[in-house]
Order: sequence, then structure tokens, then C-alpha cells
Amino acid sequence: MHEFSIAQNIIGIIAEQCVRSGHSQIGSVNLRIGRASGIMPDALIFAFDAIKADTIARDAMLNIEHVPVTGLCNDCGSAFTVEDKYILACPDCGSNSFRITAGREMDIIDMDVS
Amino acid sequence: MKVTVATKILEANERIALENRRIFGKAGVYVINLMSGPGAGKTSLLEKTLSLNTGLRIGVIEGDIAGSCDAERIEKYGAPVVQINTGGACHLDANMICEVLHDLPLQELDLLIIENVGNLVCPAEFKVGEDIKIMLLSIAEGHDKPLKYPLMFQESSVLILNKIDLAPYIDVDINKIKKDALSLNPNLKIFEVSCKTGEGLSAWIDWLREAALKR
Repeated sequence: MHEFSIAQNIIGIIAEQCVRSGHSQIGSVNLRIGRASGIMPDALIFAFDAIKADTIARDAMLNIEHVPVTGLCNDCGSAFTVEDKYILACPDCGSNSFRITAGREMDIIDMDVS
Repeated sequence: MKVTVATKILEANERIALENRRIFGKAGVYVINLMSGPGAGKTSLLEKTLSLNTGLRIGVIEGDIAGSCDAERIEKYGAPVVQINTGGACHLDANMICEVLHDLPLQELDLLIIENVGNLVCPAEFKVGEDIKIMLLSIAEGHDKPLKYPLMFQESSVLILNKIDLAPYIDVDINKIKKDALSLNPNLKIFEVSCKTGEGLSAWIDWLREAALKR
């Protein structure tokens, strides 16, 4: 949740970088969002489009790369990817002892400016 | 042209949280971010913790959307306390803590407990500069909570199950709460307490004293 404040953060970051690079227009903005990050991509795009109007990002469009949730089992060593947002057990050995290695990202990768 | 940004969206909060941690560390204060749903008993736990002999100098930051009743309850125990009103935000963030931490006598404290806004979802997502997150769940909230709100349980180092005095009167499977919570977070330390009767609190106080002084 908090897609509106996340969208505000994105606009703040890209506006600063755009100006710092000597440009005044932002086109595509590439994001990497993990499936377990808590962000709903459609809600984020909706929020971003709702608040970008009077900013340097007025023409910007978000492209979202989804990162699946992956884990590494501490017991059997298996690296696995799940469809869900949460891992409850290693799908190979059933162990509860694992760590999440990807899927919680909320990153801005790059953007097109002019 | 393409410009590399390579920035975390929540970078600002993480940066301020790190700075808060640096300030707390320099003052030698152990900091707990105490989270729960509304009404689970966070303030009651703080009242009990302040009234029992921990041997610790404790300060409190209270976080609520509105009002100061929690800070007023804490003041009665003589602990330095600051009330944050978020005015609508459903969780505390690092910037809110940054703005008040100099209102506390950090050099004279061993332990700072930040009582977050009552909410089982959002506080888990935001660092505020704490050493650990502790989660409180009242058994009256039901045994389905761990699997319904997994992030809170995964992010916390300690789970305190409160209101165990109600167990004979409600349909709750405490063993299921513990089993599901540990399946999400095998390293979770679990305490079972009743802030009303005092049951289980001495184990919590002993753990707290050791954790805060180890810092």
C-alpha cells in the first residue's frame, strides 16, 4: 500500500536526477518491483498518473519489471522461485529455515530524458 | 537519452533511519520498535515494563494518529516520553522519529521504546532507526493472524502474546499461533504474558534487561 507516497518519492527522485543531468522532460521510467514488496503495480501507476501533472514528470510513463520471490533453503541448499508473495516452506524439503534472496525490491533503474 | 537512476524508492527513509541509528548508537541507547494491531496492549506492556524492576533507564516515543492519552499514561511512571501525532499516516517513519529524538535525554537512557501506530500491516515496512522490531499480539485477535499478516511476523525478532488470562473464555488455539509464527520466522522469540494478571512478565523483563545491556 502507500502507493501515493511511493509515487511522490519516485517523482522526487526522478525530478532531481533529470534536472541534475541538465534535462527538462522525462519519458519512460523503468522500475523493478518485487512481488513481495507490498506494492500493487496497477495502483502505483494510477497514483503516479494522478499526481504527475504539474511536475517535470508530467509526460513520464512507468514501466514495471516484476521480480518473483526467490528463496534459498538453509537445510537442503535448494534455490527456488514461487508464484505467491510469501514463502512458507522450502518446496523441495519442506524446511522453514530459508532466506528470501529476491522479491522485495522497490527500485528505480533508469529513465529516458530530453 | 537514457539516464541511470539506480536508486531505491524508499532510499530517503532508509538514509534517515541509518542516521537515527547512528545517533542512538553514539548515545548508547538500545531501541525497540514496538508494533501491534490496535488494542493488543502495547501501552499496557510499557506501563508494566516501567513499573517492574528492569534496572534500565527507559524513554518512550508514542506514535498515534491523534491524541496524547498514551503519552499521558506513560508520564505517570516518570519516564521521559514524547508523543508523535501523525495526523493520518498509518505508521511511523524515520523522519518522524528524526524530528523528535533530540527532545529526549538520550545520553541518560539505556533503552528507548518506540510505540508504533496500532496497525498490523504498515509499520513492518518502514525502518525508523531501531535495533529490533518487537510485535505484540493479543490472543483475542485470533489464531489466524500470523498467516494473514505474515510480514509483521517475519520482520520481528520477538513476539509477545498478550491477554493469556482470557484463554479459558475464547476459542483460540495458542499452539497454532506459535506454530504458524515460527513457520514464518523460525528465529522468533515468543513470550506469553498477561499485562492484567502479571503472568509471564518476569521472563520478558529478564530478556529485555539482557538485550538492552548487551548493546
